[in-house]
Amino acid sequence: MKRNRIIAAIATAAILISACGGSGNGTTSGEESGGRSATADGIKDGGTLYVLTFQEGASNLDPQRVYTGAELGAYGSTYARTLTSYVPAAGKDGAGVEPDMATDLGTHSDDLKTWSFTLRDGVTWEDGTDVTCGDIAYGISRTFAAEVTAGEGPMYATTYLDIPEGDSDFGSAYPGPWLATADQQALFDKAVACDGKTITFSLKVPVADFAYTVSLLAFGPVPKAQDTADQYALKPFSNGPFKIESYEPGKEMVMVRNENWNPESDPVRKPHVDKIIWQYGLDEAVIDERMLADSGDDKNAIVYGGIQAENLQTVFGDDSLKDRRTDGFDGFVSYTMFNNETVNCIEVRQAIWLGLDREALRTAAGGPFTGEFAKSFVAPLLATDYAPAKLVDGLNEDGTPNLEAAKAALEKAKTSCPDVYAKATGDGLRFDHPDSDAWKKNIAIWIDSMKAVGVTIIDNPIEPSKYYATINGDRGDIMRSGWAADWANASTVIPELFGKGGGFNYTNNESDPNFAAFDEKVQSAKAETDRAKQATLWKELNQTIIDNVWAIPGSATKSQNLVGSNVRLGYQWLPFGWYNLGAIGLAG
Amino acid sequence: MEPVDTRDDSMDSAGLSPWQLGMRRFRKGRLGVIAFWVVFFFVFVAIFAPIIVRLLNVDPYALDRNSINDFGLPKGPLGSMSWNHPLGVEPGTGRDILGRLIYGTRISLLIGAVGTLLSTGVGVILGMVAGLRRGWIDSFISRIGDVALAFPSLLLIIALANPMTQRLESWGVPRGNTAKLTYILAILTIFGWVYMARLVRGQVLSLRERDFVEAARSFGAGTCHLVFKQLLPNLWPQIIIFVAMSLPGYVALEATLSFLGVGLQAPTASWGIMLGDSVRYYRTDTAYLFIPGGALLLLVLGFNLLADGLRDAFDPRSDRQQL
Amino acid sequence: MFFFVARRSFFAVILLFVVSIFTFWIFSALPADPAALTCGKNCRPEVIEANRARLGYDKPFIEQYGSYMKGIFAGRTYGEDESGVHCSAPSLGYSYDRHECVTSLVAKTLPVTASIAIGAFVLWMFFGIALGTMAALRRGKWPDHFATVFSVVGISFPSFFLGLLSILIFVIWTNILPFPQYVGITENPFKWFTALILPWTVLAVLSASTYIRMTRNGILEVMNEEFVRLGIAKGLPRRTLIVKYVLRAALTPIATIAGIDLAFLLGGALVTESVFNLPGLGKLTLAAVINSDLPILVATTLVAAVFIVVANAVVDIMYGFLDPRVRSK
Repeated sequence: MKRNRIIAAIATAAILISACGGSGNGTTSGEESGGRSATADGIKDGGTLYVLTFQEGASNLDPQRVYTGAELGAYGSTYARTLTSYVPAAGKDGAGVEPDMATDLGTHSDDLKTWSFTLRDGVTWEDGTDVTCGDIAYGISRTFAAEVTAGEGPMYATTYLDIPEGDSDFGSAYPGPWLATADQQALFDKAVACDGKTITFSLKVPVADFAYTVSLLAFGPVPKAQDTADQYALKPFSNGPFKIESYEPGKEMVMVRNENWNPESDPVRKPHVDKIIWQYGLDEAVIDERMLADSGDDKNAIVYGGIQAENLQTVFGDDSLKDRRTDGFDGFVSYTMFNNETVNCIEVRQAIWLGLDREALRTAAGGPFTGEFAKSFVAPLLATDYAPAKLVDGLNEDGTPNLEAAKAALEKAKTSCPDVYAKATGDGLRFDHPDSDAWKKNIAIWIDSMKAVGVTIIDNPIEPSKYYATINGDRGDIMRSGWAADWANASTVIPELFGKGGGFNYTNNESDPNFAAFDEKVQSAKAETDRAKQATLWKELNQTIIDNVWAIPGSATKSQNLVGSNVRLGYQWLPFGWYNLGAIGLAG
Repeated sequence: MEPVDTRDDSMDSAGLSPWQLGMRRFRKGRLGVIAFWVVFFFVFVAIFAPIIVRLLNVDPYALDRNSINDFGLPKGPLGSMSWNHPLGVEPGTGRDILGRLIYGTRISLLIGAVGTLLSTGVGVILGMVAGLRRGWIDSFISRIGDVALAFPSLLLIIALANPMTQRLESWGVPRGNTAKLTYILAILTIFGWVYMARLVRGQVLSLRERDFVEAARSFGAGTCHLVFKQLLPNLWPQIIIFVAMSLPGYVALEATLSFLGVGLQAPTASWGIMLGDSVRYYRTDTAYLFIPGGALLLLVLGFNLLADGLRDAFDPRSDRQQL
Repeated sequence: MFFFVARRSFFAVILLFVVSIFTFWIFSALPADPAALTCGKNCRPEVIEANRARLGYDKPFIEQYGSYMKGIFAGRTYGEDESGVHCSAPSLGYSYDRHECVTSLVAKTLPVTASIAIGAFVLWMFFGIALGTMAALRRGKWPDHFATVFSVVGISFPSFFLGLLSILIFVIWTNILPFPQYVGITENPFKWFTALILPWTVLAVLSASTYIRMTRNGILEVMNEEFVRLGIAKGLPRRTLIVKYVLRAALTPIATIAGIDLAFLLGGALVTESVFNLPGLGKLTLAAVINSDLPILVATTLVAAVFIVVANAVVDIMYGFLDPRVRSK
């Protein structure tokens, strides 16, 4: 049945760098890349591809507001071209960027604060007019308009661009194109300057991987004449190989080929199908059933939303499905945050980690297929910055609780921090989590395993749609979260989750005496231009977080997919953890 | 089973109150009596849940990793039914379904009983006030009733569930299920009192005109005397029927709310939470859906048959003594 | 007669007015900050403030209510003029979550709910009256027993449980029907029918019991009345008697309840739409509950209330025509 399945994690643009060398303690789950369906074997041009999904519609079609991994990939490869794009290839090749609307990956000043890109010839909108530098600048300027884009998309434009601080909604002096006075507009036009086909960005901080930043759809163009403000979310204007013919949330979206798209101008997209039909609001059970049956049009179908946990046994128990299924990391790491101000006692935090039945939590979610026990807050797919950290002494590898060690740690807390000890074992610690189906069970496992240690848990379920807004204001002692990198650099993970002023730092770790040194190192890592040195710093910082137990890493999560038997080039595109619609095609 | 009363009504019914008369007739209806025992069974289970659970050795809250496989699904057939888990285990955690079912009886019956009690109580009081006072008080109460009935109640119950629970918490009601239960009971009362009030008001208005009330009045009987000695005894049958008829709806409501995603909060064992969860597994673990679903059906059926029996027995116009 | 209709209509309008004020008040006085809900992932106090302004939640209640009412009759622009969105009359609000005028969302979902409600209505009226009549005419025999058992079991089923059961039996185990997937009647009447037959049946089974009982008891009561006895004595054919006189007299009170039941269902069959995954008003409401999309919740509550109030008024007026005693009351 269609239930309110709400994805608990916030951030999203999963950029995954290299296939992980399966550290696999999962006995049933291994990497599977799709067999024949991922190759071009027998592919033919034409036909209609179906996308089946339980979602009621797109989270948003407005380029400045898309922020979900799979959707960034899906819309970027169909209707929303950007200055740079990820390489359209399976495996780790897909993790790099290449020029798209731009002629190259940009030129920068020595201090990495000025970046310029030149537009290719022949890049056009769906009405045949040229995509201009002004369109790109206008598109980016929309991010600043809180009254329209409401901070739904990535906010790198506001944090990077060299515009003075001010009193508009995002703390910038520029309030977006609708409300800006001429003076305010001039501030933006200075930061994003157009000279013919050349666009120049002035940044207030050095950014080494700005070529990755501009691959986000939020840095894509919007023609001012076509902009319908909030309603641009329903019918964006296309500059890619497909355009949106009709979109009806709850029912379907039809993407057809854009006749005014010029293949010579586009090195990234090699579309094979004529039409893509998204079928929304389907029952999840029906989707799995249809995919397994593989009849009629469903042979030409892919799924957005994965396989239901209940059906994994069926799908992966049947080797005849080998050429149609995929299984791999999706770039997310789930984790449990402590409020380090109220639980300011490392022994208590260690005791909770040691005593937590992580194995039971994973089994409740569906077992090893759902992910591997994480050893870092950085996903394994972000290979450059990933190193398994040394976890707390006594932690069981298989995820089962080590009660002895947990109790010993708690015993130490009795003397080292009696207040927190008394609270944890007495009134209890408040656990905030989204009130989802899965968490109705997970919380039972938490309560149960903490009871064995001697810690009391006060359950505090929060409406899923309000979860992050709620803990932003009112934090419990323990909180649930999940994260994926915005691009191939842990700079989009560690500072955001644990640094000072990090947009998603709910841990109150600033109160920890070790924080000052940590944050100083974070700042220097951000400014480090030597990528190898930077990676070392991220790994060390990750170890520091784990040593201080500001949060408990949960799982590096995986996702599984099944495609129809005619689907070809249906590979999992690493940056987005989903298919590349700009390449996918059908056989016979 | 109760031995059926074979005596003839006409023999000695002269001095009996309507209550006694009704009870006598009720005992004659076979199905009604069976339904009574079904309901009694559930009430018994609810009251003695902790003891029963211990006697049967089924812990509703203990996790059992050994009875579920690596996918989190029950290992054996039929939701892994076994001697240790007579009705199988819950997918994901391996908690015992029988134990949870037994504890869940408490929540369903609590909502049913208290919800009915509150809405009937409020309805009787407001109906009496309206009937006795008449005038503007009567109009006021009646108009409020009109407004309450103009709302789509289920829709509003669901739409307001989360925000109103938060509001109750901010007023000092303990967080979690206390607040959720308070909300459910309060809103059931808000929407549920009207029919009872209308019924009572009508009865009071017609009783007022009857001889025995007039007589009591002429002897200078006070309002209290009037209400407790004259009106209430005559209203009892109506109240009983109404209670029996609204109970099953309230009992099922907790499950409906959980199904729609606004029910009680885990890890409390409730039928609604079980049903809401089982929907996710209704194809891979069908037994899990049928067990709480069947229990709920049985209980509601029991209440409905009981209500039928009572109506036949107490409503003189009813003509269905035989079923 | 005219005065009766006028008075009853006037009362309905007043009731709607009170209901609308109350609905608006209860949703705008909720503790959760509606402005914070429309805030994305980068939720800062400044963004919340901006949202409050664009949604109009910074204005006093009376003013908010005033502009809402004005929107219904004259249309309304939401947000700042430059970047705002205009919804033409009758505007029930704008959903920033779905980027659409609420009126058009309601207009899209209403046909689905109407398809469900009307189909179910026809089914339950037909079976309810047929079974009820049979039970009354064969009182104490097996049709009577069957009708009684059917009605008490039907009314006892929790609606979602019956829905799931029907899916298990007819879709999953026997494959008699495809999984319900709503298609408009104009698009493909056959698919429309196969998608709705299960929801109709489930709703009919749940509701028919009331009608079975009412029909049965109504007929039995009417049969005892003078004119029927006279008819029998005069030797009128049984069939004519029952169809022409008894049923007509017995069904009048049923029509009253039926009208109101239909109105309730038109306001959104929450459980049924959810079980069968049908994109009607009920599902729109449920999705809005999950996303805390207040403009939609206010609108669906109001739409449902309008159905109920109007149905009540229509039924009362009809009753007034049929029974003069009501008018003078």
